[in-house]
Amino acid sequence: MSVGYAAIQWSKPKRRYDLIVGLAIIAYIGTFMLVSKMLWTGASAISDEVLILRALGSCGFILLHIILCIGPLARFDPRWLPVLFNRRHLGVMTFFIALAHGVIAIGYYHGFGTINPLVSLLTSNTEFASVQAFPYQLLGVVALIVLFLLAATSHDFWNKNLSAATWKRLHMSVYGAYVLLVAHVALGALQNDRGLLGPIATVLGVCTVGVLHLLAAWRERNRDLSSPTSSVAGEEWIDVGTPAEIPDDRARTVCAPGGERIAIFKHNGRISAVTNVCAHQGGPLGEGAIIDGCITCPWHGWQYKPQDGCAPPPFQEKVATYRVRISAGRVQVNARALPPGTPTDPVSARSEAANV
Amino acid sequence: MSEHLLPPPRDQAIYVNYLPMPVGIHRFLKFAVPAVLWIMCALAFVWARSQYSPGNAVWETGKPVEFMGVLGAAPYPVLFTPAKDGTITAVLLVEQGKFGTQKRAAALSGQLVRVSGWLLHREGRQILELEPEDRALVRITDAAITQAPTLRELGSVTVRGEIVDGKCYLGAMKPGAGKTHKECATLCIRGGIPPIVIAFSADGSTEYLLLQSESGEAIDPALHHLIADPVEIRGVKHQWLGVSGLGVLRVRAADVRRL
Repeated sequence: MSVGYAAIQWSKPKRRYDLIVGLAIIAYIGTFMLVSKMLWTGASAISDEVLILRALGSCGFILLHIILCIGPLARFDPRWLPVLFNRRHLGVMTFFIALAHGVIAIGYYHGFGTINPLVSLLTSNTEFASVQAFPYQLLGVVALIVLFLLAATSHDFWNKNLSAATWKRLHMSVYGAYVLLVAHVALGALQNDRGLLGPIATVLGVCTVGVLHLLAAWRERNRDLSSPTSSVAGEEWIDVGTPAEIPDDRARTVCAPGGERIAIFKHNGRISAVTNVCAHQGGPLGEGAIIDGCITCPWHGWQYKPQDGCAPPPFQEKVATYRVRISAGRVQVNARALPPGTPTDPVSARSEAANV
Repeated sequence: MSEHLLPPPRDQAIYVNYLPMPVGIHRFLKFAVPAVLWIMCALAFVWARSQYSPGNAVWETGKPVEFMGVLGAAPYPVLFTPAKDGTITAVLLVEQGKFGTQKRAAALSGQLVRVSGWLLHREGRQILELEPEDRALVRITDAAITQAPTLRELGSVTVRGEIVDGKCYLGAMKPGAGKTHKECATLCIRGGIPPIVIAFSADGSTEYLLLQSESGEAIDPALHHLIADPVEIRGVKHQWLGVSGLGVLRVRAADVRRL
């Protein structure tokens, strides 16, 4: 949360995060180069440029897997949230590693020749109809362009100015980049590979990303209460359960008939409801907690007051609120979202329908 | 916003970056962070070990070496120079970068010459990257060899293997073959670097065949899209008399197919 923009709002956790990621990258590339130089010596040495390309390429590919796995992992176990909170820096670092890989590859394989390296990149291989000879480098180039767009727009400035929904849609294209990179690896490096390790590792990586996402989606679907709705005077009310079923300072999440998820919080014995979607990056507010009287998003700690969905001053972000009532001892939430920042009266967990 | 916030409640289990870290998460990270670093090292170690040898190819990038012999200029310049054992060694000639030396060699075709440059070699096959200066290729009047060896036709053959560019495969890039090297090999061969078929026999032996068109000229550009692919080639094999290690295969583009 911020009232202004800075290139990077450095904080101690961010510095520590970047330091650890930097160390992991150095550890990977350093170990790869060292072991390769020790194993392949003399006449059978592998070219330094090839070693650097392999180290950078595989490092970037591993980091992209980590980036994609953090989201679902953090939903299964909140202990992963510290890895998620600064995922953007991880993404930007991944882009720069991929960029270095791409620049060296183009220079090495397409440079020093009769034509411009970029022209060579686009024209040297046009065997699009062949799996065996497919110009896999172009897949890497397209993926790199997508990663650039994501890195360039990762700042909150773009999040705010593109709107959170557009920004989110744009950044979902990381999955497109991932598919392109899997194809880039499968149609490139793996076709050169004589062993099974590369194909097995790639399949394992793809399966890990896929299974984690499927499990997270399945879990989320199961957690959406399949609540009965009742229609009164044209208004739909969704059953949430008894007040006791909502943990203190936590939420239950229900799914409105239109598919919108609603987070119903209990704080100091009073119940209120807001959209489950954080105004920042669409984080699941219902998986957050009330901290210092504010609904706190588990992804980046953005906060909203439960009674009106407004961020505490001086911040200005707002989320949609919902009306809540208690009827026959059960909590019900109105299916219609109120405009972001609309005040509502949180109902007492002990009150009855008159509190609507 | 941390300055106006109270410490988090004791039971707070979610991580908020501007608040003190919950004890459970802190304990987890104390284990997870070193684990991640070790895993990255382990992955790098395993991946580095899984690489295969690019073959015994060497690029002697130190002091330039000199050869004297007869120059055959077309379609791919080659110097025939006497070896110590009385046979003749064929040393292919190229320029720096991804360029053949056809232009420089044309005027001296069939002449006695002295060449100097940096040698690349693999399994006894040699290619010389000429120094850029004029003195790297000069005419001489005396050498232990006076005539280029005769090229003798050995008949039709069908071989399986890969078309590589001679310079990279003989040591400029390691590995200088395979899918990841396809575009580079294509660029090299388009630039005039000699194309060589690395033909693999069923008995595990490897044959190096300089690829030429059916009429003994540079290969048909229609073949370029098959460079670095596993291919089967039907052509007419030739051999320079007295030269071992490097043969010549003359082909029609239609007689090369991707496997």
